[in-house]
Amino acid sequence: MIKITDLEKYYRTEEVETIALNKLSIEVKEGEFVAVMGPSGCGKSTLLNILGLLDDPDGGSFVFNGIEVAGFNERKRADLRKKNIGFVFQSFNLIDELTVFENVELPLIYNNVKAADRKKRVEEVLDNLKIMHRRNHYPQQLSGGQQQRVAVARAVVNNPKLILADEPTGNLDSSNGNEVMQLLTELNEKGTTIVMVTHSEHDARYSHRIIRMLDGHSVTENILI
Amino acid sequence: MLKNYLKIAWRNLLKNKTFSLINIIGLASGLACFILIALYVADELSYDRYHEKANRIYRINSDIVFGGNKLNLAVTSDPMGETLKKDYPQVEAYTRLYNSDGYRMVKKGSQYIREDNVAHADSTLFDVFTIPLIAGEARTALNEPKTVIVSESTAKKYYGTTDVVGKLLETDEHKSTIYKITGVFKDIPHNSHFKLDLVFTMQNLDYQMGNFLSHNFQTYIVLQPGVNYKNFEKNFTQVIDKYVLPQAKQFMNINSMDEFKKAGNRLEYNLIPLTDIHLHSDRRGEMGVNGNIQYVYIFSAVAVFVLLLACINFMNLSTARSSNRAKEVGIRKVLGTERKSLVNQFLTESTLTVFIATVFAIAIVWVTMSWFNDLSGKQLLFFSLFQPQYILFLAALPLVVGLLAGGYPAFFLSSFKPIAVLKGKINAGFKRSALRNVLVVFQFATSIILIVGTIIVYRQLNFIQTKKLGFNKEQVLIVNGTGGLWNKSEAFKEDVSKLAGVSGATFAGYLPVSNSSRNDNTYSTSPVMDSKNGFNMQTWIADYDYFKVMGMEMVKGRAFSKDFGTDTSALIINESLAKILGFKDPVGQKLYTYFQDQSGNKLVTYNIIGVVKDFHFESLRQGIGPLCFRLGKPDWVTAFKVNTSNINDLVKNVEAKWKTYAPSMPFSYQFLDDAFDNMYRVEQRTGKLGLTLAIIAIVIACLGLFGLATYMAEQRIKEIGVRKVLGASVTNLVSMLSKDFLRLVIISTVLAVPLSWWAMNKWLQDFAYRINIGWWVFAAAGVLALLIAVLTVSSQAIKAALTNPVKSLRTE
Repeated sequence: MIKITDLEKYYRTEEVETIALNKLSIEVKEGEFVAVMGPSGCGKSTLLNILGLLDDPDGGSFVFNGIEVAGFNERKRADLRKKNIGFVFQSFNLIDELTVFENVELPLIYNNVKAADRKKRVEEVLDNLKIMHRRNHYPQQLSGGQQQRVAVARAVVNNPKLILADEPTGNLDSSNGNEVMQLLTELNEKGTTIVMVTHSEHDARYSHRIIRMLDGHSVTENILI
Repeated sequence: MLKNYLKIAWRNLLKNKTFSLINIIGLASGLACFILIALYVADELSYDRYHEKANRIYRINSDIVFGGNKLNLAVTSDPMGETLKKDYPQVEAYTRLYNSDGYRMVKKGSQYIREDNVAHADSTLFDVFTIPLIAGEARTALNEPKTVIVSESTAKKYYGTTDVVGKLLETDEHKSTIYKITGVFKDIPHNSHFKLDLVFTMQNLDYQMGNFLSHNFQTYIVLQPGVNYKNFEKNFTQVIDKYVLPQAKQFMNINSMDEFKKAGNRLEYNLIPLTDIHLHSDRRGEMGVNGNIQYVYIFSAVAVFVLLLACINFMNLSTARSSNRAKEVGIRKVLGTERKSLVNQFLTESTLTVFIATVFAIAIVWVTMSWFNDLSGKQLLFFSLFQPQYILFLAALPLVVGLLAGGYPAFFLSSFKPIAVLKGKINAGFKRSALRNVLVVFQFATSIILIVGTIIVYRQLNFIQTKKLGFNKEQVLIVNGTGGLWNKSEAFKEDVSKLAGVSGATFAGYLPVSNSSRNDNTYSTSPVMDSKNGFNMQTWIADYDYFKVMGMEMVKGRAFSKDFGTDTSALIINESLAKILGFKDPVGQKLYTYFQDQSGNKLVTYNIIGVVKDFHFESLRQGIGPLCFRLGKPDWVTAFKVNTSNINDLVKNVEAKWKTYAPSMPFSYQFLDDAFDNMYRVEQRTGKLGLTLAIIAIVIACLGLFGLATYMAEQRIKEIGVRKVLGASVTNLVSMLSKDFLRLVIISTVLAVPLSWWAMNKWLQDFAYRINIGWWVFAAAGVLALLIAVLTVSSQAIKAALTNPVKSLRTE
């Protein structure tokens, strides 16, 4: 599903050029659950942004679902992104002014799904994730774990092929964290590909494979199954 | 403590450069408007206050309705002043001015110069007004015939010195008249309702004195201290019974005031305080063009509103940014700062901002002063701002405005509870601020009202320009002062009409524009005049070609013609008069009037030979009254119908002809359409000033909106990022961000429509002939405001929407 070859990304300030990704090559197959680990500044987030089609690489190749997407413009990337990719963030990134239902509904609105279908789909997902009873609450009325559930619900509501999770348990206590990891595992078992950036060896153990990064390239890969 | 406040205030200003700049630009433009208009209003209100007895001087006005024709006069009959002084001890002094005979041509070397600010005055002039003489003796200056006093600058103009008492001055009256200069007075201040450069003694005046029925004199009286002028006015009833009625009886067969009134007529005298004349009086026979209190009110209100708009920006931006300040407030409170000193700190900030804005405002005033003077028709001086009273005003301005703009934010911000703030519970109500929405609505409603007002003023002006007037104002060249050619005026007219490009010529002493001659006379439909058959109307003198040159149409009968020997007793009336008289066929009917000469009253009979289509002989503010023409030779002005694209050459040719006839007289000309436009100069100025203020108001409102939009985009940057990641397009985001503001602008439009409709309808009532306010005006103003708001907000929204979400979502 994902094949990147010799991927490069630089960040330039006025004086210094920092290499974020240095000829990185990775492959992720459909249905895999991959964890990316490494110290701060090793390029994990940059990688995730490029995988999520939020950012464009400076060099190398990125084949997504059999299509070369490196060099795609913003609009093409956005189109591909909203149809195929769901995001889960460390800080949840729910919109405070919207209810749980409305938050989860957003990706469907932006994908031009009809209102009736949206309602059905959102309710289904909320039900699956056991937060239906919170549907009319606002994010600030929920616990961290519940908020992350909503975020996961929002990520999967559109049936994406790929879920990108950026330290999904980083802001949660261990029991809430485990719950979220359980959720991701279940999604993976139903066929969704997951790439997760994490600092936690514990969380990483839920995945099939760990890619360890250092200074913009991958150093080792641990196969867990 | 204050130093500390100032230091923090200054740092805060520097820290938030965008917002400080928005506040300062908005406040500086608002304050500049305010200062300019304050100077304008102060000048308007200062008129005629320089006279020592200013608060005891009154002018006698006459209100006459006779035969359906209404006259509101700034003048009264010649014996009135003296009569009041003689009969009523409350009257301390009186004086009269007479300027109905217009300008004078004054000789300097071999050339004549036209002097417009001339009048005849009684020797009691100095008992009433404070006009200091720098040479000559006030008591005797105007006592003898053939004497004149001149202003300081006039003395310098003609003689190069003010030491001119005893010197002689020559005018072209009766070809040449010599006056002796008996005094030099200090130039009349500009804020005077009369402008005088040459004051001739009343004894020179060629006038049948003693007539209570003829109104030609501006008459001013000084009442004794403590006399209530409203009470004094009641004495006019006695005066009418004792003096006016006996003359009316003898002259017009009117026996009692009751009978006169019963026929729907009216004769009343009243007093207007001297200091009210400039702003409250717009009568026939004013000494000059007066101001209008309505415009003083309108401009004062607009100035205050524009300043308020700028204050609102400050309030909105300060409270919107409260979350940024909340933490600071929390920490200060935890450290033991009292609320009072927090309030002081915030007020210091607002006052400092306003102070800086005031400095900029003064600079703006300095730069725009001459432009504003053009716009307002004033001669305000920038340096008058440094008079003590203005310095006080300028010093108080930052304090008052700082308090106004900063008061609410100061109390709002200082009210935060420290624990709530520090726990981050107040990421303070950006969205849920009803007050802020109300204030934005206020700003935009004000702007829309100003836009509507401006559009309507311009539409009315355009309506006036293009209205069918009953005469053709295009391509008519008017040469002034042809009376000065004496018996050669006819030859001049003939000569010029032979020039290429001239298709007609007429003597045109009476023209349908202001500043032209007017003449009221009394007529009756029967040889014995009484209060039922008598009436007043404009009587103009015209020659044979007048109607053709002016493009006036005869609806019945004919114009004056050389083919008819009897046209000296012929009368042409307008349609309005025909309607009032109610004759089925006016042509052939007779009208009667009395002509007064040395031998007494003589009855004159006129035959109506034609009816001219109604034409607007006064401004469109007034309806068309009754008017008639007699045949004559009003040769003090000559009008030429021209028909050429090369106007400049034609004027040069006419001037060359003039020089051959009157080498010592100045050549003075104008075009009828320009003279016509001059009647609406006040409206044109209002339009321009309104347009300027509308633009400033909209700019200030947009600055505020821009600030709010910037801040909102900043506040919602994370949300925008999330939505983008979830697939929102730029269009989605821009419409989401703009929607809230646009809703406010739409509400503003809805509120502004009835208000502006009401206000402009009122303004239009001043015009007897006016446009209908179409609904599209409001639609246009609303759409315009909406467009401007969209542009303002969307620039920020687009910027926010285009930001790469990676930046805004980076994990903290």
